[in-house]
Amino acid sequence: MSFPNDLVYSREHTWVRIDGDIATVGITDYAQDKLGEILSVELFSEDSPVEQGEPFGVIESLKVTTELISPVSGEIISVNEDLADDVGILNSDSYNTGWMIAVGIRDLEELDNLLDAEAYADYVEEYEEVD
Amino acid sequence: MEKWRVIPFELFDSFENMAIDEAIFRAGRQREMSPTLRLYGWESPAVSLGYFQNAEREINCGYCHDRGIDIVRRPTGGRAVLHGDDLTYSLVAGESSRHFSSDIIKTYRIISGCIIRGLEKSGVEAEMVEKGRSGSESAEPFCFAASYRNELLADGKKICGSAQVRAKGMFLQQGSLLMDFDPVAVCAAIITKDAEAKEKALEASVTSIRKSVGDNVGIDTLCRNIAAGFEEVLNIRLIEGRLSPEEETLKDSLLENKYRNAQWNMGRGAKSGH
Repeated sequence: MSFPNDLVYSREHTWVRIDGDIATVGITDYAQDKLGEILSVELFSEDSPVEQGEPFGVIESLKVTTELISPVSGEIISVNEDLADDVGILNSDSYNTGWMIAVGIRDLEELDNLLDAEAYADYVEEYEEVD
Repeated sequence: MEKWRVIPFELFDSFENMAIDEAIFRAGRQREMSPTLRLYGWESPAVSLGYFQNAEREINCGYCHDRGIDIVRRPTGGRAVLHGDDLTYSLVAGESSRHFSSDIIKTYRIISGCIIRGLEKSGVEAEMVEKGRSGSESAEPFCFAASYRNELLADGKKICGSAQVRAKGMFLQQGSLLMDFDPVAVCAAIITKDAEAKEKALEASVTSIRKSVGDNVGIDTLCRNIAAGFEEVLNIRLIEGRLSPEEETLKDSLLENKYRNAQWNMGRGAKSGH
């Protein structure tokens, strides 16, 4: 399972790529693996406000439907339209072409609540042990 | 012994049924609560759609309208289900509560084990299917047309279909256990390319309590047995309860703003991989 070092992660299993005050958001390798084959995704539209810890969309896999929880607060400035054509990239390339939304970050201090790759890997390991 | 709430069997219309389940799920997300098992039926026939389905693409809406069959979209995913001759259950619990886990498959397996015990008590030998078709093959809009992982079979035929939604550490699982099954009605209500062939296929692959044990097991007995299945397998006690005032308020709001709203029920043209 891979957790690239140049990203930060939320406990709700999203990754965040920070570029100035823009956050690009997707689901982690762990999330896509746990969900299994992803069938559909529905994301909030451009210009929608999002809050850290609140939903920004819904994803359905063969196993389950689950809310996608935003790792940052702000406004969605871009949505990955490619997902409408091929939702499979969420399973095959979740860190690159499988990005979901880009958010204009409202409060950079909120990023302190996120985990670096090592801390996220530890978190996932603990999460698994609880099961 | 751990105590859970059970909301005893009652009939509601389709919109109320979905609003009640979602109210329990949402209220549970906001506070610590013990798991809730709810058993229910449908005042009149209804087709429930999965969260990502679109009614105009999947359902013969004119047929349903003419016959007074409601169309309602569920908070859970999966495929369309024709309700009326089924016992429906919902279970809301924290994914980290004692018996469950964040692992989706494990949760299905645990709940399936409880239902299998309840079916056994009713004279129906059931088993859980761990393997199924992959999503890329599963273009069928109707739930009982496909056996997925963790569905329940009796005599090798599907008898119970379930779907789950998760949010904020809680899950809601809804499932439909067939008391009786009419493939002709299903193929009339749900869009299918070759209705006659589909009817035959469903006849061969789907069963029901009545097919399995005749008229010996009524809905009351089945409810009692399913509840006992949960109690025995999980070593818990089910205490009869009702919705809290908070859940009632949420239910009323969900009914008004969501489930009695055609825009929700017809589907929002969700983006799909297919």
